[in-house]
Amino acid sequence: MARYGMVMNVKTCLGCKACMAACSQWNQTPFWAEEGGKWRTRVTELEDGKFPEVKRKFFPTICMHCENAGCQSVCPTGATFTNKDGIVLIDYDLCLGCGYCIEACPYDARYEYEKEDLEKDEFYFGEDARHHQVHVDKCTFCVDRLEEGMEPSCAATCVGHARIFGDLDDPNSEIAKLVNSGEAKPLGEYLATKPKVYYIK
Amino acid sequence: MDLVQQHTWGWFIAIYLFFGGLGGATMALGILGELRFNKGKWFGIGVTVLGMAILSFGLLFLVLDLIDPFRFLLAFWIKGIGHSWIARGMVVIMGAYIFGVLYMVAAFFESTTFKKWMGYLAMFCGFGVTTYTGLLLNANVGIPFWHTPALPVLFTVSAFSTGCAILMWVLAGKNDHESEHFFHAIESFDIFLISLELLILFAYFDFARGGNLAVVKSAHLLLGNPIFTIGFLIFGLIMPLILEAYASMKENSRGLAVFASGLVLLGGFLLRYLIVWAGVFQYPHGLAG
Ligand code: SF4
Ligand code: SF4
Repeated sequence: MARYGMVMNVKTCLGCKACMAACSQWNQTPFWAEEGGKWRTRVTELEDGKFPEVKRKFFPTICMHCENAGCQSVCPTGATFTNKDGIVLIDYDLCLGCGYCIEACPYDARYEYEKEDLEKDEFYFGEDARHHQVHVDKCTFCVDRLEEGMEPSCAATCVGHARIFGDLDDPNSEIAKLVNSGEAKPLGEYLATKPKVYYIK
Repeated sequence: MDLVQQHTWGWFIAIYLFFGGLGGATMALGILGELRFNKGKWFGIGVTVLGMAILSFGLLFLVLDLIDPFRFLLAFWIKGIGHSWIARGMVVIMGAYIFGVLYMVAAFFESTTFKKWMGYLAMFCGFGVTTYTGLLLNANVGIPFWHTPALPVLFTVSAFSTGCAILMWVLAGKNDHESEHFFHAIESFDIFLISLELLILFAYFDFARGGNLAVVKSAHLLLGNPIFTIGFLIFGLIMPLILEAYASMKENSRGLAVFASGLVLLGGFLLRYLIVWAGVFQYPHGLAG
């Protein structure tokens, strides 16, 4: 049993979006979709400060794997659940496709994997296609990679060491130190969702 | 803060919320009327069938809104009942169907005590459906305009007002003494409900003024939209209030009340559509992109 989390270091994120590419390849997320695709992780460009001292920043986001997850609490079928390692997951076989969780997530982490996406998934990945039914989709911390002893694909590819993945319950881990020292903070604490993704800004 | 208007839910959910509330309220009010005003078994059976038909029509739109409508059977898999309003709603809706049918059977065979109990249970479930339509939206923490206790109250009151409207339509053609009596009772109740709805709306928007950015944005979206101000507020609420109040003071004015009921129904639908439309997420800065 672990309590997995991630620290995003906005200071070192280069904005290369290698994480988005790696995630979308590993998890076969609809990068083909209209209006810029559907992603489990995004890197948003922000402008910080006032003219003339404007600084560009890159802001990576994923599902925050909330301890008090709005998505899970509205899910009627129990398709959305938290596994023993604190990862919020979706059982595709149970997903009704009602979209209630998309509305309930205050971090815009979820999207619909629709029929067209299934067709495209098969078109691009052929026999290796991983999505076979419509469902709602989001970041899983690459739970399948964790089982194989690998890091989530975004953290594994990150050039700027902006994504630090680990067990929040292990006081010696890099992530626990950053979080326990107060250097990394969750987003939108007022929402009382208790996210397990933290930010160094 | 990044403010983003929601777009996952639209017309279909609004139609579902409207007809769900309308069906539940029609059933609850109709059965109450039959039990209270001795309207006879066929009236009881008729309004229950009508209520269930309206509810079913609404449910159809919930199913059509699923990513894949053919997966609708999973809706009966209500493992999330401890926390999810869709799951709870399914149970209440099933209850409305089951007790509604039992009530009709009892009414048909004229078994008075059983009919009464089944009637009460069906009314309770019908009432539950109206409130649930508001709680469904209310559960979304990320949309502060919905996440307020005023919303379920507003939807419940509005649903009952539309239920009154339907019953006035049903009763308008009947000339017996009980029907007339019931018609006027419903008419007065609707006047009360519309006034209450206006008060709740006033409180809702007054509260929104002091709310966070997303709430203010939602309120502005609504107040800046003529479908809300003219369509809903004037034609769907204030006009029927005046017309019904006027009709209630005059003899032979059922036609006017029936016309006002049509406006109430229109207003009820617009309210749901617009509240869904005006849902604004308040994402922590950087998320929305
Ligand atoms: S970020 Fe959204 S999808 Fe992820 S656990 Fe929290 S509420 Fe659920
Ligand atoms: S879309 Fe699927 S995961 Fe989301 S709330 Fe509905 S059933 Fe649950």
